Amino acid sequence: MLRVRDLVSSYGKLDVLRGISLDAAEGRITCLLGPNGAGKTTTLFTIAGILSARSGSVLLNGEDLTRLPAPKVVSRGIALVPENRLVFPRMNVEENLRAGAYARRASAAEIAADIADLYRRFPRLEARRDQFAGTLSGGEQQMLAIARGLMARPRILLMDEPSVGLAPLIVDEIFRIIQELNAEGVTILLVEQNARMALTVAHKFYLIEGGEITFSGSPGELEEDEVIRRAYLGAQKE
Amino acid sequence: MIDFVQNTVDGIMFGSSYALLAIGFTIVFGVLRRINLAFGASIMLGAYAGTWLHVHYQVNVLVVALTTLVCTVLAGIYVERLCFRAIRRDAALASMVSSFVIWMQLEEAAVHLLPERTYAFPSFFVAGSFELGPFLFRGEQTTMLVLAALMVGALHLLLRHTRFGLALRAVSESPRAAAYMGIDTAWVMLCAFALVSLVGGVAGFAILATDEQITPFFGLWATFKGLIAMMLGGMGSLPGAVLGGLLLGVIEAHAQWYLGNEYKDLSAYLLLFAMLVLRPGGILGQRIHGREALAFRRV
Amino acid sequence: MDDYVITVLSNIGMISFVALSAYLLLLTGVISFGQQAYFGLGAYAAGAATAMLLLPIWAGILIGACVAGLMAALVGALTLRLRGLYFSISTLAFAEMVRLVLLIVEVQVEVDGELVGPAGAEGFHDIRWMFERDISLGEFMLLIYALLALVLVALLLIERSRLGSIFRMLGSDDLLADMQGLNVVGYRVLAAGLAGVLAGIGGALYAHFTTYVEPQFFNVMLGVHALAYGLIGGLGTAFGPLIGVAIDVGFLEAVRFIQGYRMIVFGGLVALLLIFMPRGLLDEERVHRLKARFRRRGDAHAAGS
Repeated sequence: MLRVRDLVSSYGKLDVLRGISLDAAEGRITCLLGPNGAGKTTTLFTIAGILSARSGSVLLNGEDLTRLPAPKVVSRGIALVPENRLVFPRMNVEENLRAGAYARRASAAEIAADIADLYRRFPRLEARRDQFAGTLSGGEQQMLAIARGLMARPRILLMDEPSVGLAPLIVDEIFRIIQELNAEGVTILLVEQNARMALTVAHKFYLIEGGEITFSGSPGELEEDEVIRRAYLGAQKE
Repeated sequence: MIDFVQNTVDGIMFGSSYALLAIGFTIVFGVLRRINLAFGASIMLGAYAGTWLHVHYQVNVLVVALTTLVCTVLAGIYVERLCFRAIRRDAALASMVSSFVIWMQLEEAAVHLLPERTYAFPSFFVAGSFELGPFLFRGEQTTMLVLAALMVGALHLLLRHTRFGLALRAVSESPRAAAYMGIDTAWVMLCAFALVSLVGGVAGFAILATDEQITPFFGLWATFKGLIAMMLGGMGSLPGAVLGGLLLGVIEAHAQWYLGNEYKDLSAYLLLFAMLVLRPGGILGQRIHGREALAFRRV
Repeated sequence: MDDYVITVLSNIGMISFVALSAYLLLLTGVISFGQQAYFGLGAYAAGAATAMLLLPIWAGILIGACVAGLMAALVGALTLRLRGLYFSISTLAFAEMVRLVLLIVEVQVEVDGELVGPAGAEGFHDIRWMFERDISLGEFMLLIYALLALVLVALLLIERSRLGSIFRMLGSDDLLADMQGLNVVGYRVLAAGLAGVLAGIGGALYAHFTTYVEPQFFNVMLGVHALAYGLIGGLGTAFGPLIGVAIDVGFLEAVRFIQGYRMIVFGGLVALLLIFMPRGLLDEERVHRLKARFRRRGDAHAAGS
């Protein structure tokens, strides 16, 4: 599905990718774990076209997206659920969802149908459909951000740290939603620092440290404590 | 009492044009978090182009209106490219100063086009004057009010019920998140400039057609009235801009009637200053004041 | 030097005071569109002191500076809560209020059988201290530049001192300054007052140089120009605003063939400059590099001798 090869890119002076390769298989949850500043967000931004790659390639079902600007990438089927949710605070829930469908150029009827589907999926959002997004709780905002991402009808959903700043109970709920969405057929590339939670949902995971992939495999191939330690601290350099 | 009501009515009518000018500032501020000081000057250049055709070729009033609109939009796009698009995102002060020097530039260009101090501007009004009880409704002012109401209604529909409106509001809320949704923020900003220039062009034309003359002070005047009206209502708020514009019109009408002509502008500034000191967010938008202040803190 | 050159140079000097005034506020992180108000207040107060009360010029300048400074501090205290654009517009509103009030105010006294004093829109004429003492334009220009040099030295000293770093800290982050236990309110009022004093001195000199002032001269154009000068010259040093003034008033006045197209040329140049140097010619980074270079050269010199 999504194939990333030898991606080199940078975000600011610190966050530098030195040739990342990873695959996200259709219908699976792929996780990218690593400490702060290792290049997780940079990877997502480069895939999404927000940052431009210096070299390497991003392929989605064989189509090369590497040089496309962000609006084109979204319309090719890659949607990003950003860190800290970034909902539009003074637009109501429904308008936030409409904004998510912006790149699709779908008819009003199609969009209305998708919104209705998502309301069935997230009843709490329907209850608050006319409320400003800024007045929702953190967990609800995260749901809205996910739903907004789904409105683009992506082939793959990129999620950046969905657990950040949420209470443990809410985190559990969000991860349950992620798993349910995946069971319904959504392909997900998940970036997380909360490795313990991520490992409970991942089919496959990558460790990124210092802008390089240092491990790839399925949960269980590496001892959980080792993953968690490296996801927080990075590999201890000998 | 009759005077008071008549003044209020006159104020609201003239204030409707201030409201359109304020909308121009408020939309640009919403999208860019910056002030376009060249707004009045671009309207002036557009109106001068229309007047130039009128003076030299005696074209009819509709051609003047069309020329004014087209040239105002072109000037607006020029300002956007040079003073906003080209300047780094974090340099709000540079954008503002740049739009100021371009204001001077546009003004001088306009004066080269028509060097005299005053020119006649073709008048244009649909409604005739009529009386309602003891009150007089002047035709050109009624026309202006109707025009302004139509513009505000159209803008409201555009912002609330179209794809472009959604994109524009998303960019105003969070340019970053809007970009993640696949919205081309740079394109939206350019369109926003073209849109407000169009609104400003209509306002400018309506005002000048009421005055039936144009002077080189028009740019300064339009910029200030628009800025004051926006600040009175609350920055970044469309209803605020309308309310601020009407309030400014009413205050000026009363001050002029009861205190005299020289107190007209003074009372407007006094009101603005008092409002800023006592209630900085304007009539509407107190809540957002803190956030805007933060956004602008790093000059 | 002919009178024309002296007038241009004197104008550069007097406008520089307003530019420095706007620059001082920029350092503390606020943008003022209204420093021309204090220029005007300084001009009227100083004019009143010498022409109506017949005080000597030094008293006139002192009174002009004090009136402007006190008023600026008062306005600064009133607008303390405001930031960003809200602050800028409040300064603009106040400045226009001052100008419009001066258009109305008529206070005249009889001096030597003639009425002297502010006469509303007519302005304030016959501030003839220079003529009465037979002082030439050239001599007065020296006074202007002597005071400008004094002010500049004071500003440069302030920039290097603790006060300067406090001002810059207010500019970058109030909260940080607050946490350092600084009296943020006090320092903001102080900065506003000092900026008012600078503009007031400029106004006081202007009133005596031209012998008359009218409210129209200190409209918002003066204030925004002053602000632009700081940004053109650069926000890194107090010399920045002076460079800005010199470029606008000096260079463009001198190049006669662009007369009539001056704003078109100047506007375009400045707009282009700001694209490539959004914090002006001498921004903080460039000033830092220049200083480092001088220091190195100085060190090499010391080592060589």
